[in-house]
Amino acid sequence: MNTKNLIKVLSVSLFSIFLFSACTDLVPEENDSIVVSGDASGGGDLGDPADLLVSSYKDLDFFINQDRVYSLYDHTSDEMIPPTRGVDWGDNGVWRTLHQHTWDATHAYVLETWNGLNQRAFKCNQLLAANPSPAQAAEAKFLRAFFMYHVMDLFGQVPFREFDQGVDENPQVLSRSAAFDFIEKDLTEALPDLPNTGPAADNSGATQAAANALLARMYLNKAVYKSDRPEGPYTFSADDMNKVIAYCDAVTSAGYSLESDYFTNFGTDAATEIIFTSIQGTPESRFRMTLHYDQNPGGWNGFTTLADFYNKFEANDTRIGNYPTPDGTDFSGVGRGFLVGQQYKDDGDILINSRNGQPLEYTADVKLSGATTFEGIRVVKYHPENMGKYILLRYADVYLMKAEAIMRGGTASESALDMVNNLRTLRGASSLGSLDEATMLDERGRELYWEGIRRIDQVRFGTFDDTWSDKTVTEGFRVLFPIPQVALDSNPNLVQNAGY
Amino acid sequence: MKYFNSFIKGGVLLAMLMLMSNFALAQRTVKGSVVDAENGEALIGATVAVVGTTRGASTDIDGNFSVDVPSGSDQLRITYTGYEEQVITLDASNVVRVQLKPGNVLEEVVVVGYGSVRKTDATGAVTSVTDEDFNQGVIASPEQLIQGRAAGVQITSSSGEPGAGINIRIRGTSSVRSGNNPLFVVDGIPLSGDATTGGGIDAGFGSSASRNPLNFINPNDIASIDILKDASATAIYGSRGANGVVIITTKSGQAGRGTLGYDYSLGISQISKRYDLLGPQEFLDAYAAFNGAQAAANIDGGAQTDWQDEAFRTAYTQTHNLSFGGGDGKGNYRFSIGYQNQEGIVVESAMKRLTARFNGTRKFIDDRLTLGTQVTIANTHDDNSPISDNAGFEGDFLGAVLKSNPTQPVMVADPVTGEMIFNQISQSEPNPMAYIGLSKDFTDALRMLSNVSAELKLLDGLSFKTVLGFDQSMSSRKSALSRDLFFGSTFNKGRLYLNDIAVNNRLWENYFTYNKGFGNANLTALLGYSYQNFNYSTKSFEMTNFGTSDLDLMINNLASANQATGQNSIVGRNSSSATDELQSYFGRVNLSFSDRYLVTATLRADGSTRFGGDNKYGYFPSVAFKWRLIEESFVPDLFYDLGLRLGYGITGNQEIPHNLYDRRQRYNDWDITNEGNITGGGLGDVAFANPGLKWESTSQLNVGLDFAFASGRVSGSLDFYNKNTNDLLIQVYSAQPASQPFVWRNLDADVINQGVELSLNLAAVDNDNFDWNVLTNFAYNKNEVRNFGGLINTGQIHGQGLSGAFAERIAEGQPLFAFFVREFGGYDDNGVSIYPNGDVQQFTGASPLPKLNLGLTNNFRMNNLDLSIFFSGQFGHYVYNNTANAFFTAGALANGRNVTTDVPTSGESNLNAPDVSTRFLEKADFVRLQNVSLGYTVPMKGNSSISSLRFFVTGQNLAVFTNYSGQDPEVNVNKPINNDPNGVPSFGIDYTAYPRARTFAIGGSVTF
Repeated sequence: MNTKNLIKVLSVSLFSIFLFSACTDLVPEENDSIVVSGDASGGGDLGDPADLLVSSYKDLDFFINQDRVYSLYDHTSDEMIPPTRGVDWGDNGVWRTLHQHTWDATHAYVLETWNGLNQRAFKCNQLLAANPSPAQAAEAKFLRAFFMYHVMDLFGQVPFREFDQGVDENPQVLSRSAAFDFIEKDLTEALPDLPNTGPAADNSGATQAAANALLARMYLNKAVYKSDRPEGPYTFSADDMNKVIAYCDAVTSAGYSLESDYFTNFGTDAATEIIFTSIQGTPESRFRMTLHYDQNPGGWNGFTTLADFYNKFEANDTRIGNYPTPDGTDFSGVGRGFLVGQQYKDDGDILINSRNGQPLEYTADVKLSGATTFEGIRVVKYHPENMGKYILLRYADVYLMKAEAIMRGGTASESALDMVNNLRTLRGASSLGSLDEATMLDERGRELYWEGIRRIDQVRFGTFDDTWSDKTVTEGFRVLFPIPQVALDSNPNLVQNAGY
Repeated sequence: MKYFNSFIKGGVLLAMLMLMSNFALAQRTVKGSVVDAENGEALIGATVAVVGTTRGASTDIDGNFSVDVPSGSDQLRITYTGYEEQVITLDASNVVRVQLKPGNVLEEVVVVGYGSVRKTDATGAVTSVTDEDFNQGVIASPEQLIQGRAAGVQITSSSGEPGAGINIRIRGTSSVRSGNNPLFVVDGIPLSGDATTGGGIDAGFGSSASRNPLNFINPNDIASIDILKDASATAIYGSRGANGVVIITTKSGQAGRGTLGYDYSLGISQISKRYDLLGPQEFLDAYAAFNGAQAAANIDGGAQTDWQDEAFRTAYTQTHNLSFGGGDGKGNYRFSIGYQNQEGIVVESAMKRLTARFNGTRKFIDDRLTLGTQVTIANTHDDNSPISDNAGFEGDFLGAVLKSNPTQPVMVADPVTGEMIFNQISQSEPNPMAYIGLSKDFTDALRMLSNVSAELKLLDGLSFKTVLGFDQSMSSRKSALSRDLFFGSTFNKGRLYLNDIAVNNRLWENYFTYNKGFGNANLTALLGYSYQNFNYSTKSFEMTNFGTSDLDLMINNLASANQATGQNSIVGRNSSSATDELQSYFGRVNLSFSDRYLVTATLRADGSTRFGGDNKYGYFPSVAFKWRLIEESFVPDLFYDLGLRLGYGITGNQEIPHNLYDRRQRYNDWDITNEGNITGGGLGDVAFANPGLKWESTSQLNVGLDFAFASGRVSGSLDFYNKNTNDLLIQVYSAQPASQPFVWRNLDADVINQGVELSLNLAAVDNDNFDWNVLTNFAYNKNEVRNFGGLINTGQIHGQGLSGAFAERIAEGQPLFAFFVREFGGYDDNGVSIYPNGDVQQFTGASPLPKLNLGLTNNFRMNNLDLSIFFSGQFGHYVYNNTANAFFTAGALANGRNVTTDVPTSGESNLNAPDVSTRFLEKADFVRLQNVSLGYTVPMKGNSSISSLRFFVTGQNLAVFTNYSGQDPEVNVNKPINNDPNGVPSFGIDYTAYPRARTFAIGGSVTF
């Protein structure tokens, strides 16, 4: 072979190597994540149901933050106001518009709540598709119901995506009525496979009591959720009320009872009322969001209650709270319940407001805009000295639901008035002579204030479109939040709620 | 394993190449010398190339060369920097003497990716900046060398911090992700766009961006930077070319005698502009006006503290560079070592870098085989300051400096021990100097970039080159906060973050080049294959419950954290490792006819693991024409050069996170929250999987004119372009229910960038002892989003009472990142903001993207003195002053925080809420006297052992002419919504950015 030929041969070989040097099929090897390969036919691996369940329980901390879902339930009601204090808490109007009922479809927390709840419900779909045990499936259904319930309650329609529907498929949308049925089915299917355990301070797993409590809430509000007109008026049927009573009784029979000392419920020693809590996170934001900067623990000097709400309490009602007993230990300068007037340091000295150099005294009156740093009564249920887990379902709510169901035509051995008075006596308040819708709503407020349920109650009692301090809008359609604009853009199956 | 196999194949290939190189063709050896035509002196290192082949040689110390000329070749092209090119036709003689004339127009060569071309032959829009035109002074990273020097290239540091991250926009902004920077190619190795060092981690201070990944390159090692701007030039890099390509070529040894060089410079920096804050008495008076005299007396700490004096310092930068090199006709080598110790103007911040580089090439086997290697190793140590992008109302370090009560002392006596300790009165009003004194945060990074190449001439005009490239880095960031710091859950517990990143990228490239003349036509062809493998892994830890407040002990003796059961002391936050691959085939054909018509056609097929299914491969073609009008008889003699360019091409972008198409699950990060709670660990989907993701593509049309008049004393280029980016890769809201709030999609919209670029060089005076050259560049760009149905908010605004606030929106018909704020109409009688158009956000016509960029350089040389004055400017854009929004309001003052002097008399009420509005949106036009450099070259006698000696004085950032009220209008703190690193970035927001410095440097360089 001469040189020229050799060069030719070599050139050809080089070209061949070159052409066949395609050395990869471009399928990456995944070392730091689990590729989930399963499909609807049941083939393949769809993830570890046990770990997904742990993760879904952690997801409940979504309810703890002072913004998002909590803000939609409490700032929109008559028990809480988010005053803008100079440069503090203006936050682009995100709080003010909730209090004033002037939110729109671009409201940040409306969007984050929509995304957060639906995302969590979807994880339950994935979990249910991943071959869970019957017990795991029951818990997943309870959790899915818990998330979807809030979507139904807040938005009046619930999107649903099967676990295997990809990004290019538009989720179907359940009407409020259809969503009610869906959630009710999940809960009733879950019930037999859930553990039937009683109260515990850190009750953070799904139980029959939790499912029964949620079913009671569903049926108590069924007239709202099944109404053709979301803003009411609502017609409560005796059948539904009897179901409420039955579900409430089921919770009681699991060993739940009213706690004799009200504030024990929010500490680590809670014994009899705690049905369901968030395993992840602590209720720390609940006192930070209200306490003044100069208190110990330092707060964010934010939310307060309204004077009119505070005035609903009798002086002897233990739920109004107590003055602190500063003894030099950490946080002993902070009281429980409603914090009014002069505030103290842990050593008993009066607290000076570092913003104006004056003694820090909380006033009952508070403005929504242009408030000073000391306006408004602060509210501490979870105390920094001894805070329990964040409560998602509490027995006192169940107890009052039963009383209300009786009041609304349900049949039971006790009377609604006796039940309410029994609770009031336990809380140190005088007995009521009679019971009507207004007093029942007030009693629920006194017992359950700042626990993230006030909006549901006000809607059911038809007072959500009333006026109160710094809230003049009386638009009935606001019983539903708007579907976020970006959600409408992302899914043509959604239709904006009337009025928005 | 796959990838290992490819290297085995590479080895076999190399061995084959070696073997075959013994065979030679019929040829003759021509010897000769090259001298200056005017004085007859020998020219050392002139390039002698055999026309039509890839052969060549360099002249030695006596100007002599020897070159092998194959049969069939009869022309030599001789080039030498500063001289006119000459082509000689060989006769029968094997000895030639060449006289080169000193020329005005340098025969410039531009690097175009997998090769280089004469500038006059370049068909695409390419700007080349060589070391003579680099910015001088204290230069921390390569891109600073060309800041303002190239038309259409906008370079913005995110802040003035040593080693700060950068934003480079070539011809406007077209993508909407953090991966918006151009592709960097260093000595032929394309770098991945990933950050190589960890960003700062939140302990309630906010988080900060990663450092500039280019810091590892010693700017002193760079010979030239070529910027490929239009698609016809960048298409050879296909998928990664859409945002332009920056090609960095490092210095190599010069043929001729060996040289030894040493450079030293000392830089002295100070903050270029301070905030005009209230003094202690003014502050108390203004506070009293809102809250009364008693309140003012209560907050009077009795001291006189200028917090800016405490925070900023005169910073010194020392730079040493030592290099030696040499070469001959067979090869060359250069070794360099560089050390830079740059102090930041914020106390304690600094960057120290030690780099070593070796470049070498050598020809073997009758010059048929060329082996080359380039290796650089850099050890970088950053002392980070506690400055974040997104601090809340407490402020990061700089926020605290601005707002701290000027009557509070920095230190107070401990009431018990009498020892001086930091004065920390409140968690919401932290002492900024305590941040510094009670924390330690540094990053150590080691990065090695190297390549080995072999090029073999196969046949006449055909050669084959194989390149192996390695880019590896390891970085470790350690950040400790003392338990003595009165802040959040750090107090009494301390907090430590450890954050490591390892990057391991490999490249194997093979390509053929073929060059052949046919009569008056010439063909150059390129065909290649490239494989790149990118591995990126991270791990991070977080610890608390330290008994000690000794920061070194916290970092270096982890057991000092009480890790007993139940203490919640330590979380392994997370770790990750992801590998991506890119496999490409590329080809290019250059055809020229009569040296008059030039055509370039390029095609690159890129396959990427970033896309799934059938979308892995993207095809990126381009074609360009150049008509060298100067060769035409109808062009008037007035012209010295005239060429018309037309190019069109499609390029791509794949800068999205790893594998978004498979449904993958991961346990999410654990975290010790600001309240000290531990959360995290849930199993969930990494992303809402989108198997349909495909390449983002940008089509670009470019029309350009290259011209020169008056014997080349006036020259320049004019380019018009239209860039259309579609299938934008972006995160949008998922249609819920979905596993994540966001999903990556190809957005059905167009981002249009249209613009004009002009660069103009003028040799105003050209005498023996006095030269004056003027270099200008001008770029106009218009950006618009079209055919977009959605809305995307970005630009989160931070500060007290600003949760959830944002200032920018991407929408139809607007430029990207258009400001979307309330229209501010002053204050009413109560001092409350008036919004004439309602309390709603709206587009105001203001954009953060400059419409016009200008650069103007004047170079003077008088005998041995040279002076360079460089101005740069940007016009037509706005900056949102989040710093003022968060800190300089009446409400802030009423809360006992210091403000700028204009606040007390602004008429604003202390109860006014400073919502996001045009009140804080400011015009950001500026002209900067960026660089003035005066040099003196000491005349040397011919027989001196010193071959050159030069001294210089440089001033950087000497003056800024602007109406912007903040520290500097050239600023970009990235503020995506919710600080999501993969979120849609923002542009043109200023939030307590590390301030810019004014720097004077003196130095000298000597060559032996």
